[in-house]
Amino acid sequence: MLTCHQVAAGATDYMEGAAPPLRRLGVWAHLRICPNCREYLRQLSRSIGLARRALVAAPAAEVEDALAAIFAAHGQGAAE
Amino acid sequence: MPRRQGGIDVRLQATQRDGAEEAGLVARLRAGDQAAFRQLVRARHGRLLRLAGAFCRNRASAEEVVQETWLAVITGLHGFSGEAPLAAWINGILVNKAKTRAVRDGRMVNFSDLAREEGEGDAFEPERFAADGHWASPVRPWDALTPEREAGDRELLAGVGEALEQLPPAQRAVVLLRDVEGLESPAICQALGISEANLRVLLHRARIKLRDAAARLVGPA
Repeated sequence: MLTCHQVAAGATDYMEGAAPPLRRLGVWAHLRICPNCREYLRQLSRSIGLARRALVAAPAAEVEDALAAIFAAHGQGAAE
Repeated sequence: MPRRQGGIDVRLQATQRDGAEEAGLVARLRAGDQAAFRQLVRARHGRLLRLAGAFCRNRASAEEVVQETWLAVITGLHGFSGEAPLAAWINGILVNKAKTRAVRDGRMVNFSDLAREEGEGDAFEPERFAADGHWASPVRPWDALTPEREAGDRELLAGVGEALEQLPPAQRAVVLLRDVEGLESPAICQALGISEANLRVLLHRARIKLRDAAARLVGPA
């Protein structure tokens, strides 16, 4: 039986589907009986969701205006 | 192993929903709709800057790469096939421009070297596990992280954003490309010049750090 340390260390391989079949089966069997590792992998997965939604700074108004002006000018050029 | 299958299903559903939403956006962009373009800039500019920062060694270079990317998007919109999501198409342009520029300026980050440096040692601090390999203390559930907080807690999401910024460069690059922007592994390996094994080592370390940061931000139930 795999230890919690081994399961946690191989979590990304497991989540990415990159673990060899026997190791994958071992992780799966461990997760069936270990609430701590289940919770840890769940938290890794939720962290990915949080990273996807992590806030980034909005562009400065002058940057947005400058890009919009280029977009407008290109549209006019394409229409001519 | 239903856990992974469920994750894939959720991703597929999200992709289909996003695809339907952006079909209208692309049509408006092609029609020269200013509001649609501003919407796109607001949604993507910060993320592009963050992604460019993974390739460039300074902020000014990253900003120039993002500007070049927008110009290419504007001039290339009518050639956008729609086979890939719009965000993936824009990201692809950015990655190519960032690499070209970094090589031209002699400032290309060597991700292969970084991967070696950042992948050394155990990913976990020794005190996290007991000598027998079990958790030294129970993994505390994130009972305080409600779906509402997960979706819209600005303090939490800003904190996770800061944690992303603080990752070592190669770890930040892989987690941005894989987990945040959703690129497939082979494309990331090609873009960064690293092996799949390197990619997973870096991704694993980055995810551990992000999970630890999130655990601190989530707080007790």
